[in-house]
Amino acid sequence: MSLLSLIKEISPQLLEGTLVTLQLTGFAISLGFVIGMFLALGRLYGRGPVRKFCIGYIEFFRGTPLLVQLFIVYYGLPRYGIKVPSIVAALLGLGLNSAAYQAEYFRGAIQSIDEGQMMAARALGMKKLQAILNILIPQALRIVIPSWSNELIYTLKYSSVAYIIGAPELMAQAKFIAAENFRYFEVFLVVAFIYLVIVSLLSWILRIIENRVRIPGLQTS
Amino acid sequence: MRKNAKRLIMVGMLGTLFIFGLMGVSLAEKPTYIVASDIAWPPFEMVDAQGNYVGFDLDVMREIAKLEGYNIKIVDVAFDSIIPGVVSGKYDIGASGFTITEKRDKVVDFSKPYWSSDQAILIRKDSGLNIITALSQGHTVGAQRGTTGASWIKDNLIKKGVNVKLKVYETYPMAVLDLLNGNIDAVIQDEPASRASLAKEKNIEMAGIIITGEQFGFLVKEGDPKGILPKINDGMAKLKASGKWDKLVEKYFGK
Repeated sequence: MSLLSLIKEISPQLLEGTLVTLQLTGFAISLGFVIGMFLALGRLYGRGPVRKFCIGYIEFFRGTPLLVQLFIVYYGLPRYGIKVPSIVAALLGLGLNSAAYQAEYFRGAIQSIDEGQMMAARALGMKKLQAILNILIPQALRIVIPSWSNELIYTLKYSSVAYIIGAPELMAQAKFIAAENFRYFEVFLVVAFIYLVIVSLLSWILRIIENRVRIPGLQTS
Repeated sequence: MRKNAKRLIMVGMLGTLFIFGLMGVSLAEKPTYIVASDIAWPPFEMVDAQGNYVGFDLDVMREIAKLEGYNIKIVDVAFDSIIPGVVSGKYDIGASGFTITEKRDKVVDFSKPYWSSDQAILIRKDSGLNIITALSQGHTVGAQRGTTGASWIKDNLIKKGVNVKLKVYETYPMAVLDLLNGNIDAVIQDEPASRASLAKEKNIEMAGIIITGEQFGFLVKEGDPKGILPKINDGMAKLKASGKWDKLVEKYFGK
């Protein structure tokens, strides 16, 4: 079978997997964004227990392999009555994991803003929360884009380990096809190409956004 | 000084050559073949309490190696990675309850068949399903990736429009665990391995057997470049003649 006809034959199934991969990445990165932002703020401005919880969360999820986390969620929790379908387990695992990393990126971005801005805001009569929401976060979100785009790309690529708990994403489809036709080299070459195209597209979009929302006069790179 | 150094290097090189020569001779005398097996599939391949690789396939491999005068090294490999590994030359023999199929025979060479098996369907005892309902009505059937059971569901049910979903797993125990956890409704697997699961897990039962009449064979690289297949076939014949084969069957399958 020629490479072209092989690609033609396997592409519908790979496309299905690609869609799942994109959904998985999209949901996980969004979940991670929301939780990560709370974690970053909690770690920076929270009181005792809140701060400790945030640090503990970040350390736990950064300190254990994603694969281990997925196994705990998918194969471990059902013993205690918590049952989730594999796609949901993958989404939760990836999202909770990404939250820890995003929290650190956000924290770095917030801390890179001059302390004087907070003081100035307070001097103008803003409450601390107001200053954080109106002064710090809008800037931090722009500063964070280069490192955050790394996280997006990592999440996309790491979503490929979800095959092990049976989420029907791109890697799972590819392994399934290859196990049947034994054309490992060709199948995974196509898969590598698909990932590459998506990653290139994402970094291109993020670069455009980064330039659009650049803070005038502030060097971030 | 320089002369001495040169001499030393010469001696070192000769010594190295000598050692390699010896190794070459010993290799030529008794080759070592790497046997790949997915060692989570009792009673054909499993790990005993001491951490040794045991099971019918692996014991047969060891006995044949003894009879035919070669060494083997057994490695634990994911089932769906064994054939690609044999094709690329990473492993010499695949011994993992492989059904001889036309598709596989196109990329590897098989020994004479040594076992025949059918596919069994496992369900949870409390599920209230039977072999018909478990494989229809939108239920999800688990199977190990790359197995004939997975292909059977896909080719005989899904492709023919039966409303059933297939979920594939890296190892067979993962599929059983997911069945016990209630994430899937049934598991399809070769009958001997299914019976081994039944003996271990109280909450599952066999819904029924699909007669597929599959024949297991050991496999090597296409064209058998190392000439291993004649040795395996010859060794199997000798084992059967000596009665050792039946003893191994009894050891792992009872009766």
